[in-house]
Amino acid sequence: MSVATSSYIPLAERNLWNDVKPIAQDDGPNPVVPIMYSEEYRDAMDYFRAIAAAEERSERALELTETIIRMNPAHYTVWQYRMTTLLELKKDLEEELQLMNEFAIQNLKSYQVWHHRLLLLTHISPQDPSFEIEYIHQSLLPDPKNYHTWAYLHWLYSHFYTLGRISEKQWQDELRWCEEMLRVDGRNNSAWGWRWYLRVARPGAETAKDGLKDELNYVLKSIHLIPHNVSAWNYLRGLLRHFKLPLTPLLFAILPYTARPSSTLPEIPQDFDFATPSVPLPNDTPLPVPLALEYLADALIEQGSNAEAGEVFSELSTQYDKMRAGYWEYRRRECVEE
Amino acid sequence: MADPDPDPTTSRQRQSTFKRNGHINYFLRCLRALPTAAQGSDSNRITAAFFCISGLDLLGALEDKTTREQRHGWIEWIWSLQAPTGGFRGSTFMTTPNDKTSPAHIPSTYTALMSLAILRAPLDRLDLPGLIKFFKSCQANDGSFSPVPGDDIYPNEGFQSDVRISYCASVISDIIGDFSGIDIDLAKSFIGRCKTWEGAYASRPGVVEAQGGTTYCSLATLSILDRHTQTQPECQILPQETLRWLISRQIGGFQGRPGKLEDVCYSFWCGGAISILGHSNLINRDADRTFLLSAQFPLGGFGKEPEDYPDPFHSYLALAALSLTHSELNAKDDNDGLGLKALDVTWNVSLETAQWLKDEISRVKGVSQS
Repeated sequence: MSVATSSYIPLAERNLWNDVKPIAQDDGPNPVVPIMYSEEYRDAMDYFRAIAAAEERSERALELTETIIRMNPAHYTVWQYRMTTLLELKKDLEEELQLMNEFAIQNLKSYQVWHHRLLLLTHISPQDPSFEIEYIHQSLLPDPKNYHTWAYLHWLYSHFYTLGRISEKQWQDELRWCEEMLRVDGRNNSAWGWRWYLRVARPGAETAKDGLKDELNYVLKSIHLIPHNVSAWNYLRGLLRHFKLPLTPLLFAILPYTARPSSTLPEIPQDFDFATPSVPLPNDTPLPVPLALEYLADALIEQGSNAEAGEVFSELSTQYDKMRAGYWEYRRRECVEE
Repeated sequence: MADPDPDPTTSRQRQSTFKRNGHINYFLRCLRALPTAAQGSDSNRITAAFFCISGLDLLGALEDKTTREQRHGWIEWIWSLQAPTGGFRGSTFMTTPNDKTSPAHIPSTYTALMSLAILRAPLDRLDLPGLIKFFKSCQANDGSFSPVPGDDIYPNEGFQSDVRISYCASVISDIIGDFSGIDIDLAKSFIGRCKTWEGAYASRPGVVEAQGGTTYCSLATLSILDRHTQTQPECQILPQETLRWLISRQIGGFQGRPGKLEDVCYSFWCGGAISILGHSNLINRDADRTFLLSAQFPLGGFGKEPEDYPDPFHSYLALAALSLTHSELNAKDDNDGLGLKALDVTWNVSLETAQWLKDEISRVKGVSQS
């Protein structure tokens, strides 16, 4: 079924492999979803089965696993075999890491690539993981929302923090880097999540102590910069929920986005010292901002003004966010029926 | 949440015929052979097979469009994947005389078991005690599960041990009515720690943001484990924030995270999660359907988004998503329904198959006790 490429020399014709008897795949008489393997892949797998069955740990086994991984990066067995072989042969793991650097560029979405990298870093266990952090920062540039890369960055910090190898300066530098990511793209939800870790969730995060007001202002300013930014609103709501704070005290900072007639808007109190929107609002902001209406409605429920909240939900349902009409109607019913 | 209203006159809406026969033929073609480009699925062929077989089941085409001999052959191939240690391997790709080369794999065990059920294979050959031992060898101290049993060199706490694997282990335990392979409290606390600042669930604790697929897996796992232990459903504690996050992902079809594009699979992951929370009626079913149908490939199957080539994963999840809102159970009228069977949203197979599976497991257990 496969097409032979002229340049390919089968393993059977190579001296290195002539002592090995390949094991062909036994797919039985009724294979389901058989794959039309390339000649190279089939050949390499026939030899890999033989090597694995004999539990051979050797240089040529490493070479073969690399060949297969390049054709099928999701091959979990071959990754596991490679790691075991690397350790048994006491190979230079830094060299393996270099290979992975090259590899990751093409295979950012493969779980196995990242798992392998995690194990390498665990074994190398550098006193200072800066080089790896720097590498991950670089690899986020072309793909700033890659789920695995962010998950790995989180692992790096939590693992090396547990080992006592993340300095206070490194935490501060990381926060600055994260802020730069958000400056470049304020809608990068992954970067917001990273900020949450750095500012709220990580051991020793400052927000838990006395940085809460700064944090609220940071996110309010972000909303003022991009009023329709879902991630920033979610972050704001997340902060209030996490620290069990009411929504109402911050209403002044977001009321202009609800586009209520100005006559009905309360004056911003003199002592209100949270970031407020620019006056007038940027011209390119479509109003009202549905996220602001939702915030207003939830604040009204908090104040016990359920009927008013119901009216806001009704506006969302019928005018401003029809995509979620059913949901807003559900919210409306819920608060007027209580 | 500030997305423009769907415009009923867009071309998508006009090209909205459901290509039923095309989809049937697409799944049949894949079952016969996958192209070289699918080599990356070599270790998980059973999962590709499940998507095709379950797709044919939802379309109600399995009996008509395949022969008894074909189905029998497939059943034998699937049984050949059962490992001596219990559980199933993902494919015949590593089968050698040395059993150590081909360990069982939790997601493959889930898709193998479901495929056998859809094919109505008697399950007497299922190694039930083996399954329990297999799960025990995969659960890590933090409550997570690794896809294959861990060892000193490849520990079972790691990057791949995420909520997807917890989901598969929980569903299988639910199917066989035996949770003794799982430390339930640990498994639940692991999922609980995956909840993010946004109110939905990430792949692992501390991972920076929630995602549609991992939120589905988390809610399904919690609902199964809570039902089993008859405790206050954990996903019912503050479910409002989770529901809000899920509902906000709809932008026509669904996106997997804020700021990302629509992708067919999230219509199932997010729509399914919303259904598990008991609110499937809050999905904007017309907008979702319009997007899903626009992602049909002219020759059948669904791509990730319109104009993409189809693959079994997106093709099946598109049908599963459509079944949530447009099955024979919830169609508004004859024109609205797509002739799809209703779905068991937690197990992710047709309700019919789920019921057969429950009966079959009772039968097998009765036989083994008598």
